[in-house]
Amino acid sequence: MLSRFTPRRALLVAAALVAAIAVAAAAANSTSSEQAATGTLVIDKSFDLKTADPQRQFEVTGGIVAHVLYDTLLEFRGSDVTTPRPSLATGYRASNGAKTYTFTLRRNVRFSDGAPLRSSDVVFSFRRLINLKGNPSFLLAGVTVSAGGPYTVILRSRTPNPALPAIVANGSLGIVNSRLVRANGGTDAVGADKTDKAESFLNRTSAGSGPYLLRSFNTTSRVELTANPRYTGRRKAKFATVVIRNVLAPAQLLSVQRGTNEISLDLSPDQARPLFGNRNVNVQAISGPNIWFLFANSNSKISSITSNKRFQNAIRYQLDYAGLVRLAGRGSGRAAGVVPSQFLGALADAAAIKQNTTRAKAELAASGLTNPEIELEFPSDFTSSGLSFGVIAQKIQADLAKIGIKVNLAGKPIATSLANYRAGTEQLGLWLWGPDYPDPNDYLVFLPGQLVGLRAGWAAGSDRRLEALGRRAGSTSNPRVRGQLFQQIQVQLNQRGPFFPLFQPGQVVAASKNLTGVVYNATFQIDLATIGSR
Amino acid sequence: MARGRSLGALIPGRSRTRPPRPFLRFLARRFVALLLLGLGITLVAFLLTNLVPGDPAAANLGQRAIEDPAAVASFRERYGLDKSLPEQYGIYVWRLVHGDLGESQQARLPVTEELGTFIPATAELALLSILIAVVVGVGLGILAAIRQNRLTDHVLRVVSLTGVSMPTFWLALVALYVFFFRLNWLPGTGRLDPQFSEPEHRTGFFTIDALLQGEWATAGDAARHLVLPALVLALYNIGLLTRYTRAAVLEVVNNDYIRAARAKGISERRVVLRHVLRAALPSVLTVIGLAFANVMTGAVLVENIFAWPGIGQYAYRSATTLDLPAIMGVSLFVAVVYIVVNFTVDVLYGVIDPRIRVS
Repeated sequence: MLSRFTPRRALLVAAALVAAIAVAAAAANSTSSEQAATGTLVIDKSFDLKTADPQRQFEVTGGIVAHVLYDTLLEFRGSDVTTPRPSLATGYRASNGAKTYTFTLRRNVRFSDGAPLRSSDVVFSFRRLINLKGNPSFLLAGVTVSAGGPYTVILRSRTPNPALPAIVANGSLGIVNSRLVRANGGTDAVGADKTDKAESFLNRTSAGSGPYLLRSFNTTSRVELTANPRYTGRRKAKFATVVIRNVLAPAQLLSVQRGTNEISLDLSPDQARPLFGNRNVNVQAISGPNIWFLFANSNSKISSITSNKRFQNAIRYQLDYAGLVRLAGRGSGRAAGVVPSQFLGALADAAAIKQNTTRAKAELAASGLTNPEIELEFPSDFTSSGLSFGVIAQKIQADLAKIGIKVNLAGKPIATSLANYRAGTEQLGLWLWGPDYPDPNDYLVFLPGQLVGLRAGWAAGSDRRLEALGRRAGSTSNPRVRGQLFQQIQVQLNQRGPFFPLFQPGQVVAASKNLTGVVYNATFQIDLATIGSR
Repeated sequence: MARGRSLGALIPGRSRTRPPRPFLRFLARRFVALLLLGLGITLVAFLLTNLVPGDPAAANLGQRAIEDPAAVASFRERYGLDKSLPEQYGIYVWRLVHGDLGESQQARLPVTEELGTFIPATAELALLSILIAVVVGVGLGILAAIRQNRLTDHVLRVVSLTGVSMPTFWLALVALYVFFFRLNWLPGTGRLDPQFSEPEHRTGFFTIDALLQGEWATAGDAARHLVLPALVLALYNIGLLTRYTRAAVLEVVNNDYIRAARAKGISERRVVLRHVLRAALPSVLTVIGLAFANVMTGAVLVENIFAWPGIGQYAYRSATTLDLPAIMGVSLFVAVVYIVVNFTVDVLYGVIDPRIRVS
């Protein structure tokens, strides 16, 4: 071959390659135009996917997939996240002071293989979730599950749990075909974390009653779904096929403008700017459910500066909240408290802390600290809704510098910074809290002695009044009263807690103009089953 | 290096000696080196990963599960993290000897199975990319050398310098913007358009697998998806190979034996192709080998931008989640690629240049 290699031939080969590209391009054009006719819905998402096993998944992408493969007892509809509606269950009855919930199942539901769905399937799914000891197992912590008949399921909680109706709507509590899963290595017995072998089966085949079926599953490239012909519920699939692709946001921006039947889920408000006014794309930018917050560690062993209550107040009143919301971009909103604006018990914007530099200076002076210098830790390699923690950290640094607080930025890879955050060793920390389920009970973690409270060095007993209020709110079942109690909690948290809620970043959903039913929901992002085309 | 020997012995192509025993010893030495180096790589990767101030359980379990002692204990037990480091390493090596690279903490799949999916995706891309780079880069390098100091040479030098200077991630985004978004000549991200399903896994090369199953349209689509990322990956290597080939050819072209060949009345084309290029190829081959290894192991950015599910994406995900078995698997793979590529290049030296074979 080498003996025939001449410069001229090299150029000819190069020319041939270019020609081949041109031919391929022509063919590519022809296939692109065929896409709409095939009835394929394309979702572009930056994957955080681990598994298609509903009882193991607890990631955003996994939630989108599980939501259409596996029906849940109750569900949220449209953009609502306050009222769980009937799905597999026709309804539920709470008793024993919100400790017992009885669900009645619909009788005509069939799994995708034609088998009828019974209470034994629900019991198996929930017990499997508990005994797998995986990421979503905490959802049913302290809950026992039993069948009260072929179409009755009873959940009993050790403590009053008014959040249970919202919890059972979570995709991780999707109901699997127990017979099929058992036949493929699944178990709901104690020790399932070691003995259950059904995950690889569930990564190949879905075993649910949802509007779509799993055709193929790859955690790094794409997931393919096909319509479930045996589906009996309200959300019948409108596309023959759905393809969810793992694509970075910059490429999503191009694809959603070029394609049809295409939805992009990861654009930041800044990235989406060219799409506003684009005739081929519908863009929604609304406040997402994630709360970005700053905290000052209250543990004096970690920092004698950040644990100073007056110093905490100086931070509280010096932050330029409006500027932070602007920086977060279009669709972003102020986090008035730790409970997102969409949820029961959220504070009104008017109740939010406002910047007051005079007061901040006075608090700093009263703290007795001179030229305080502290470290702000944040995950440097992690973005959420296209927003970088580094950018927000710089803004905080600049805000606090104006009253003489020197903040050293200490961004670290998330694997490292997460360990420090969870160990409660950060002086100042910039993090976000995403809802595990859409209920204010999920935000009791910010109280002293609770999950996030401890990360901020706020030990149990640090604020007994607030802790008592938290216990009361967490076990109250009347929604109106619960809402009021959570508002009181947040007002007090804002006044004297070590947390400074900043904003809820804008969540952008960009979709081809021909698509209908594209509605963002704070729990499952979008319901693929409700999306159709004109 | 050629001085003092008879011309007949030095002109490549004349000698037809069989591989001597030292060559077999060389093969054996390389194989042992491969094993030892592989073992060393596992030790270094293991130690470095454990030195990182982070906890795999914290990186892999959710914010609630990490607070649940039962979930944490279950995770640690499953991945052997409850054992001492020497014990963990010993178990790893024992399993490795038996062909078991452990289970990925992220996907809970055997690492060998995951590598079996990701490596072919990258290899398919890397092979096309290196083919383009060799054909174009070596061709342009020869052209630049034989037109030394003329306009063609100057233009090609600027072009090659541009090729090696442009950041790949930027180039990838620009290529997507121009050829996919603006011109719509080529498909965008991924290995296939959404309407095509992945062919049944046989080789992992979508083009070949689709052809083997008679899915012509899928094969065509897979080929089209290869073009843009392969070109982007090739551009840097085209620049590199153009520069190296030019330099290597210029180094050889003024040697005595080349002048002797010309004096014997051999045509200029034959002189360049049979004598100059053959003598220049070993050094170019080294660059080709390294370029291929670089593409196989360093396509992280291009794979991310083009949503190409290859080894680069796998390595990135493994590193950010402290997925130790996956990190070890990727490290081993990278080591093996470099060792095998260097070994292959060494063998090819002997094939191309008999002087090297004899020595």
